[in-house]
Amino acid sequence: MQPQQKSQTIRPFKQRKSLATRKEEVAGIRAKFPSKIPVIVERYQKEKYLPPLDKTKFLVPQELTMTQFLTIIRSRMVLTATEAFYLLVNNKSLASMSVTMAEIYRDYKDEDGFVYMTYASQEMFGCPLLMVNPELQQSFGPGSCKHLQPTSG
Amino acid sequence: MDAATLTYDTLRFAEFEDFPETTEPVWILGRKYTIFTEKEEILSDVTSRLWFTYRKNFPAIGGTGPTSDTGWGCMLRCGQMIFAQALVCRHLGRDWRWKQGRRQTDGYFSVLNAFIDKKDSYYSIHQIAQMGVGEGKSIGQWYGPNTVAQVLKKLAVFDTWSSLAVHIAMDNTVVMEEIRRLCKATSPRPDAAAFPPDSELLSNGYPPGAEVTHRLSQWKPLVLLIPLRLGLTDINEAYTETLKHCFMMPQSLGVIGGKPNSAHYFIGYVGEELIYLDPHTTQPAVELAEGGTFPDETFHCQHPPCRMNIGELDPSIAVGFFCKTEEDFNDWCQQVKKLSRIPGALPMFELVERQPAHFSCPDVLNLSLDSSDVERLERFFDSEDEDFEILSL
Repeated sequence: MQPQQKSQTIRPFKQRKSLATRKEEVAGIRAKFPSKIPVIVERYQKEKYLPPLDKTKFLVPQELTMTQFLTIIRSRMVLTATEAFYLLVNNKSLASMSVTMAEIYRDYKDEDGFVYMTYASQEMFGCPLLMVNPELQQSFGPGSCKHLQPTSG
Repeated sequence: MDAATLTYDTLRFAEFEDFPETTEPVWILGRKYTIFTEKEEILSDVTSRLWFTYRKNFPAIGGTGPTSDTGWGCMLRCGQMIFAQALVCRHLGRDWRWKQGRRQTDGYFSVLNAFIDKKDSYYSIHQIAQMGVGEGKSIGQWYGPNTVAQVLKKLAVFDTWSSLAVHIAMDNTVVMEEIRRLCKATSPRPDAAAFPPDSELLSNGYPPGAEVTHRLSQWKPLVLLIPLRLGLTDINEAYTETLKHCFMMPQSLGVIGGKPNSAHYFIGYVGEELIYLDPHTTQPAVELAEGGTFPDETFHCQHPPCRMNIGELDPSIAVGFFCKTEEDFNDWCQQVKKLSRIPGALPMFELVERQPAHFSCPDVLNLSLDSSDVERLERFFDSEDEDFEILSL
């Protein structure tokens, strides 16, 4: 669990590097790999269940579909088929699974030339403070609710 | 009657605003109403939904666990509500209405009994909390919409009375072929040997008996749940029109989701407001009387339903639909296809005929770097702090 703690404090890629640096990076990599799409995949800052990825920058074949890309990321995290996992493009849109990376790039690429995706599971619902009944607070109060272990298997 | 109930009773009419005076239509689970002429019908429709709230003093979960779900059970209760709506559609029909004081039918009590707070009801809080352990949730932990959907799917297997096909569409993709296979699957039956194998039927060219024909055309009533995330912290506005349209479909079971931390069961909308049933009221558990009946008034929300602006919706939701017949499902598919043509609206999920390639077998993808890639990458990234990961096909 230790490496996860560390990665949580990492600032988003866009904040770590200036626009000029990022542009340069894209130009360089596109020159070397013209048929591949540069993609940044980051964990949602408030994500509590999904593990971090060890890589942020991906070079993806342009004919790869979102389904295939999602399957790769899912299998990296060793998620079961029933675990919620969403890749949001530009922090807001669920991409259609049948589109190719080339189409995603055409529709969503950033001014720096990368396409940005953020992954997240789902939020959990409950009352953070049990004001209704103080007795309950002791037995299964916020303490037990906050035991947010990543869901496994 | 104890203090909590009295407080609740005295407050409940003061707390809830009546419907706004508007010419906008009110949509409740696929039904369209006009406020000026149909206010009673709207309220009757809302009141007829099964309303599950926090309860206290029920038999301890697992024998020694909690006797109340206040503070943690709201999403479990919302899961019960959306599933109860599926059971109402399955056994009583969408047009069925509850009336206070009227003697209810046995079918109604059978539906309600499936959700009563005791260990042996099909979908009781006891069953959901304990089945959730298999999903990595200890008893008393909070659930998300997907968690409760997955648990309900597992519990539905034991409900042979309803014999539902429950499908949870993951990765915002609904695969029609998967659903047809699931709904047409004949469950193993003791008298299966009495039927000739399918190959014989086909070889003689004629379907031999009415009984067999019936078996082939069987369609298990479908409960389709689609867990989604329509944004990170806030719902992406581009989805609001599509979300509204989900409540307009006759197959709608509503939506489970909420505001941050508080789960709600959304049953419709008016204008820019969602209409919902709120589980955040603690009521005493109901004691069962002899003969399978019990007081049922507290399972129906008799005040005007709560409303909230769509923009306040937490992006994590699950949308539900019920298709009793194959025709219902085909009609649903047609309506979803039309959704993609709404100008300016983004589809919340994609409907595809079959599983996209490589979906189920990630091993097919070659993820290793070929050596030329590695060499080129090394040359380029000599001085870089972070490497690209190269994916190849």
